[in-house]
Amino acid sequence: MTLLLDIVTTAAILFIVSAGLLAIFGVLKIVNFAHGAWLTVGAYCAVVAGGLGLNPWLALPLAFAAGAVLGGVTERLIVRPLYARPLDAILATWGLGIVIGQLVTLWFGRDVQFTESLLPGTIHVLGTTYSLYRIFALGAAVVIGLGFAFLLEGTRLGLSARAIIMNEALARALGLDTARIRLVTFMIGTGLTALAGVLLTPLTSVDPTMGVAWLIGSFMLVMVAGSSFGALAVACLLFGGAQVLVSTFISPILGGITVAVLCALVLRISSKGFARV
Amino acid sequence: MKMPTLFATVASVMLAGSAYAAGDGPIRIGVPVGLSGANSVVAPSVVQSAELAVEEINAAGGVLGRPLELVIADDASGAAGAQKAFDSLVFQKEVDVLISMETSAARNAGLPIVSRGQVPYIYTSFYEGRSCNPFLYVNAWVPEQQVPPIVDYMKGQGASKYFLIGSDYAFGRGMLEFARSYVESTGGEVVGEEYLPMDGTDWTAIISKLKASGAEALITSTAGGAPNVTLTKQLRGAGVDLPYANLAVDEGTAKSMGADAAGILISASYVTGIDSAENAAFLKAMEAKFGADLRTPNDLSVPQYEAVYLYKAAVEKAGTTDAKPVLDALDEVSFTGPRGTIQMSKQHHAPLTMYLGQVQPDGSVTVVESFKDVDPGEQCPKL
Repeated sequence: MTLLLDIVTTAAILFIVSAGLLAIFGVLKIVNFAHGAWLTVGAYCAVVAGGLGLNPWLALPLAFAAGAVLGGVTERLIVRPLYARPLDAILATWGLGIVIGQLVTLWFGRDVQFTESLLPGTIHVLGTTYSLYRIFALGAAVVIGLGFAFLLEGTRLGLSARAIIMNEALARALGLDTARIRLVTFMIGTGLTALAGVLLTPLTSVDPTMGVAWLIGSFMLVMVAGSSFGALAVACLLFGGAQVLVSTFISPILGGITVAVLCALVLRISSKGFARV
Repeated sequence: MKMPTLFATVASVMLAGSAYAAGDGPIRIGVPVGLSGANSVVAPSVVQSAELAVEEINAAGGVLGRPLELVIADDASGAAGAQKAFDSLVFQKEVDVLISMETSAARNAGLPIVSRGQVPYIYTSFYEGRSCNPFLYVNAWVPEQQVPPIVDYMKGQGASKYFLIGSDYAFGRGMLEFARSYVESTGGEVVGEEYLPMDGTDWTAIISKLKASGAEALITSTAGGAPNVTLTKQLRGAGVDLPYANLAVDEGTAKSMGADAAGILISASYVTGIDSAENAAFLKAMEAKFGADLRTPNDLSVPQYEAVYLYKAAVEKAGTTDAKPVLDALDEVSFTGPRGTIQMSKQHHAPLTMYLGQVQPDGSVTVVESFKDVDPGEQCPKL
C-alpha cells in the first residue's frame, strides 16, 4: 500500500515541478533552461516570507507573483528576440539560470536556508501512516493539472494559445496578438515554477543550487510529453512509478537515473514521445 | 647561449630560496581549503579560526622570533582543484607547512605533491580513516572514535536493530561500513543499508523501506549540507521518530533545519557547549575578532585553530622549520585548546574526547555524555 502511495505522490511531485516548463515549451516551443533557477527563486520566496514573519502559505501567491514578474522581464528582454532561434534560447536561458543562481548566492549566501514546514505530521490512509504533506502534494498536482485544463479549454487565452500551438502564422493573420499571448504564457509558466519551488521546500534543502537536481528530470519528462498536460501526467505516473519500483526493489542509486533513461528510450523509439496520448 | 642563462636563473632561484629559509621572514602556513564547491559553506569558519590562531601567536611574539603568515588557496573541494592549490602552495609560495580542512578527494590528490615537496601537512578534517603518509598528521576524528559512542548510547536505550542510510561516496560508505561492523560486534543487527547519489533528492523509497524494516534506531551518514537537510525533512515528513543519529550534521546545519532536527544525536570532538576555560576564551576571542561576520565555530574549524598551535609547538621543540625535525616533533608536542589536550601521538592520529550531543528544538546542542580520550585505533601501523 505504501508502495502505491509512494508512486502516486512521487508522480505528483514530478508533475508539479514540470508543469511550468511544459506550459512554456508547449506554447512557445522554447526550452526554458532557467527552470531550475525559477524553482530556487520560488523556494527563496518562502525563506523571505518566513523572515518577514508571514504565514508560510502566503509564500505561494508571493512566489507566483515574483516568478511571473521576473518571467515577464525575462521574456521581454532575453527570450523575445530568440523565438526563431530555439537553440540560442537554450543557451541564453541556461546562462540566465547561472546568473540567477549566483545572484541568490550573493544575496543569501551559500548556506542551506531554513523554511517553516507547510504541513508537518502524518495521516492514516489506506491502512498505513503516511506523510500528510505528500498527500497534499497529490491534491496540489491535481489542482494544477485541472487548472491548466480549464485555462486551455475554457478561456479565451487558452483558445488563443491553442491556435498558436497549431498554426502561429495563421493565428497572427487572424488578428491574434501573439506577442502578448506569449508574454502571458511565459509569465504563467515561470510563476507556476516559482510556486512549485515553494511546494518543494518541505521536501528538500533550500540552497542556491537546489533547482539543478530537478532540471534534467523535468526536462526529459516535458520532452516526452510534448505540449499536452494529459501526456505529462501519464509520463509522470509511468516514469515516477518506475523510479519508485527500481529504487525499492533494485537500488535507489539506479532509481535516481530511471526517469532520464526511460525518457531517452521512449524518445528513441517514438520521437513524439507521448504527445499523441 | 640558452643553457647558461637557464642555469643562472635556476641558481639564483636556489640561492634566493636558501637565503630566505635562513632569514627572519615570516613562517608561511599554506591553507588549501574548499572556498568553492561542496565545502564552501564550512570553509569560511575554518579560515577564520586559522586567522585567530595566527593573530594570537604573532601578538605573543611569533614562533622562534618569526611571525606566522597564512597563504590561503581555494582547492574547489575536489581533486583537480587540490592539485593546483597544493602545487602552487608547495612549489611557488614555498610554504613551510600545510594545515587544512579538506574533502578526502582533495587530500588524496594533494598527498603525492606533499611527498614530492617534503612539507609537513596537518589535516584537520574528520575523515574515513587510514590515510597514511610520513608527512601527514591528523588531529581530527576517524570512524573508530565517532561511531562507538553513538552505538553504545543507542544500545543503552534498548536498540538492537539498526538501519543505515548514506550518500554514495567514500566518506558516507566508509562511515557506515564501520558502523555496521561495530553494531555487529556489539551484538546488534543491521536490518537495512541504503545509499543515494550525492545529488539525489528523493529518499521516498528508502524511507518506506526503513519504515517496513522494523528498525529500532537509525544512523545516517550523508554528504553535509543539502542532502542531509533533504533526508531529514523527508524523514520527519514521513513521521519517522526512531532514535536518529546523524554522523554528518554539525551545529550550524542543525540550526538551519529548525524543528526537524530536534532529537538528532550527534557525535563530535567539538560542540560549542563544551564547558572549559579554554573553550570560553576561544569563543570570546572569535566573537571579539569577527563580530557580526563570525561563522559559528565547529568540529571542522576548531581543529584548524589547534593545529596551528600544534605546529608552533613542534617548530619550537625542533628549533627550526626544517621538515624532518618538525615531523619528528609533531607527535611529541601537545596543545590544550577548546577540545581539550590534543597530542597526535597514535600513528600520526590523536586520541580525542568525544561528545555525544542531542539537538534541541531551538537548534542548540546539549551534551548528553562525553567519552574521554577515545583511541583512534590502528590507523597507520607502518608509520
